[in-house]
Amino acid sequence: MTVGIRVLAVEDDERIRASVKLALEDEGWMVDEAASGEEAITLFGTHPADVVLIDIMLPGIDGFELCRTIRKSSNVPIVMVTARADTHDVVAGLEAGADDYLTKPFAPKELAARIRALLRRVRPSQPGHPKLIFGNLEIIPDEGKVLLDNHEVELTKTEFRLLCELANDPGGVFSRELLLDKVWGYGYFGDGRLVDVHIRRLRMKVEVDPANPAHVVTVRGLGYRLQS
Amino acid sequence: MTDIFTETSTPRYRLTRARRLIRTLVRRITPKRIGLRNRILLIFVAGALILSIVLASITYSFTRANLVEQRINTETNQALTNARRAQNDLILSPEEIALALDQAGNTHKLIFMQGQWSASSPQFLQDMIPDVLLERVQNQGRAALMIVDTPRGEAMIVGIPLPRVDALYFEFDNMREVRAALQSLQLALLIATVITTMVGVSLGLFASRRAVRPLANAAQAARAIADGRLETRLEPTDDPDMQALTSAFNDMVNTLQQRVERDARFTSDVSHELRSPLMTLAASVQVMESRRDELPERSQAALDLLSSDVLRFQGLVEDLLEISRFDAGAIRLVLEPLSLYEFMKQAVSVSSIPRTEIVCDDVDALVAIRGDKRRLARVIANLIDNARIHSGGKPKVVIQRAHNDEPPTHVWIIVEDDGDGLIEGEFDHIFERFSRGGAAGRRAGTEGAGLGLALAREHVALHRGRIWATNRTDGIRGARFIVELPIEIPTTTDESSA
Repeated sequence: MTVGIRVLAVEDDERIRASVKLALEDEGWMVDEAASGEEAITLFGTHPADVVLIDIMLPGIDGFELCRTIRKSSNVPIVMVTARADTHDVVAGLEAGADDYLTKPFAPKELAARIRALLRRVRPSQPGHPKLIFGNLEIIPDEGKVLLDNHEVELTKTEFRLLCELANDPGGVFSRELLLDKVWGYGYFGDGRLVDVHIRRLRMKVEVDPANPAHVVTVRGLGYRLQS
Repeated sequence: MTDIFTETSTPRYRLTRARRLIRTLVRRITPKRIGLRNRILLIFVAGALILSIVLASITYSFTRANLVEQRINTETNQALTNARRAQNDLILSPEEIALALDQAGNTHKLIFMQGQWSASSPQFLQDMIPDVLLERVQNQGRAALMIVDTPRGEAMIVGIPLPRVDALYFEFDNMREVRAALQSLQLALLIATVITTMVGVSLGLFASRRAVRPLANAAQAARAIADGRLETRLEPTDDPDMQALTSAFNDMVNTLQQRVERDARFTSDVSHELRSPLMTLAASVQVMESRRDELPERSQAALDLLSSDVLRFQGLVEDLLEISRFDAGAIRLVLEPLSLYEFMKQAVSVSSIPRTEIVCDDVDALVAIRGDKRRLARVIANLIDNARIHSGGKPKVVIQRAHNDEPPTHVWIIVEDDGDGLIEGEFDHIFERFSRGGAAGRRAGTEGAGLGLALAREHVALHRGRIWATNRTDGIRGARFIVELPIEIPTTTDESSA
């Protein structure tokens, strides 16, 4: 399923880059290397990757900036590498468009698992229902399209999968833990901020008024729900 | 002339008595027991008291001297006039002594003439005249004045010879007005002394409070610094005396803060620097591991050693980084409500002995806490690791209510093992960084020495909890680690199970 995947690894430490490349190639994937943000942007333009791995601490344009730049033109899953899990870096990186994060030093196996989870395909549509409609919000899973008031909305792959998970059980309440498991493949110790930031990002795109969401609503103390 | 200020008690006696009194007082209130505030107050009161007593005494003696002198002058002049007049009367009619005595004012008079004393009133008779005075007036023929003590107070006697009629004239004044005036003065001075002392008390209170305020501020700041708020400083002041303390204090804290930050930064920098090579090591080892079967046997053994130690190294660097964050005060907990039982099940499942049993009764199973689940899970994993490494036995985990409070406020997570237990006196020591030992027969293993328990203590403290160790009390040999955490009073039901 994940054979033939192309990973772009952006990391300024040459040795880390080389070892990660070796480990990921063991998974059967192709790895492009970039030592700086500038190099990554050029490379991504010529060889679009399926997944981008970005070290936040980069010389020149930093990881956040690189995330934002890539996000402008692509919905590719981005995994960022941070030094610490408890700083503002994580939230800032997620806000900049990253889909998941790892803290250094991580095991390449863990990275591979993260990438696999992000590339998992979702098929939320019930057979015979090519469209899911929630008021002015329309989801066409087979085409990977979302329409708000009949205008197409650009979602990242992860945002789309998150929306599809919620759409799987319209009106049903999804806890953060459940969403972490379904969308990111995390267990109990997953970081709930992943869900929160992605929900926020999703609302910016599929809500007419993101501050007063009509579709992706919070069920206090329980989780989130998708409604018309 | 006799001293007009006759004292009843001698000065020497009074001095010894005062000295003894002071000595007793000093002994009773040793300076050790008097605080700075009270000492300042005492100095003010004593100062005010002494000053007012001295001033009062000086005022009194001057006034008294003045009054008496004035009186003496007046009386002397009066007596001279009276004597002259009496002499004139006696020249005219030597027999009319009574007349001569009568005409001159309201003072008491005596005339000695031709061997006979004549008195104007029975209150003043010749036996009241001291011999010295009589001798001087009679034999030397000179006027003289003397102050005498009478049973009714001081009095003044003026003696004047009347040479032309060969008589002696004496006049007696009991100085009652002077005495009355001096009494009023005494009263006034006493009141003034009391008022001054009271003002001294209030000034002393004010001053002592003011003097101690900077000290209280400094103490508060020192406490804050001891609690780890290293950015605490004393506010600069205009007071030149306090400025010395303030700037010295702030300099001290600056130095301390720099040193603490430097130490913390060093640990943090070292750990950060170690992470990149570790990252490479971990990735490379993984690549080798996936080809383990292709390696000769000896290389396989070496690879196994390498990969297990890379893992251990990684754990150590993580711990070092975490502890340097503690030292820098840079830990930010990601707090959320957790169902304790559910959390414990998960925490145990990711520990080194995932099958550890958790004993918990139904009531305690409902307990919710508020915590950073990944950090708390590390605490549990560390305790289970500790039990595994140091005892070799199977750890047992118990969740129970901490006290019998109703409603319950704290919960205990107890990790027990059946190893050799801890040595008395090591109960606290084992929570220190890189502490080995703690148990009699502990394996001098390569594992274990580390930061696990030290980190556990820091993490638990951040959760407003406590952690401590004892030996088991249920008859089985082994150590017992107890984590006490505050129970979260759920605002919304079921939040933790969401």
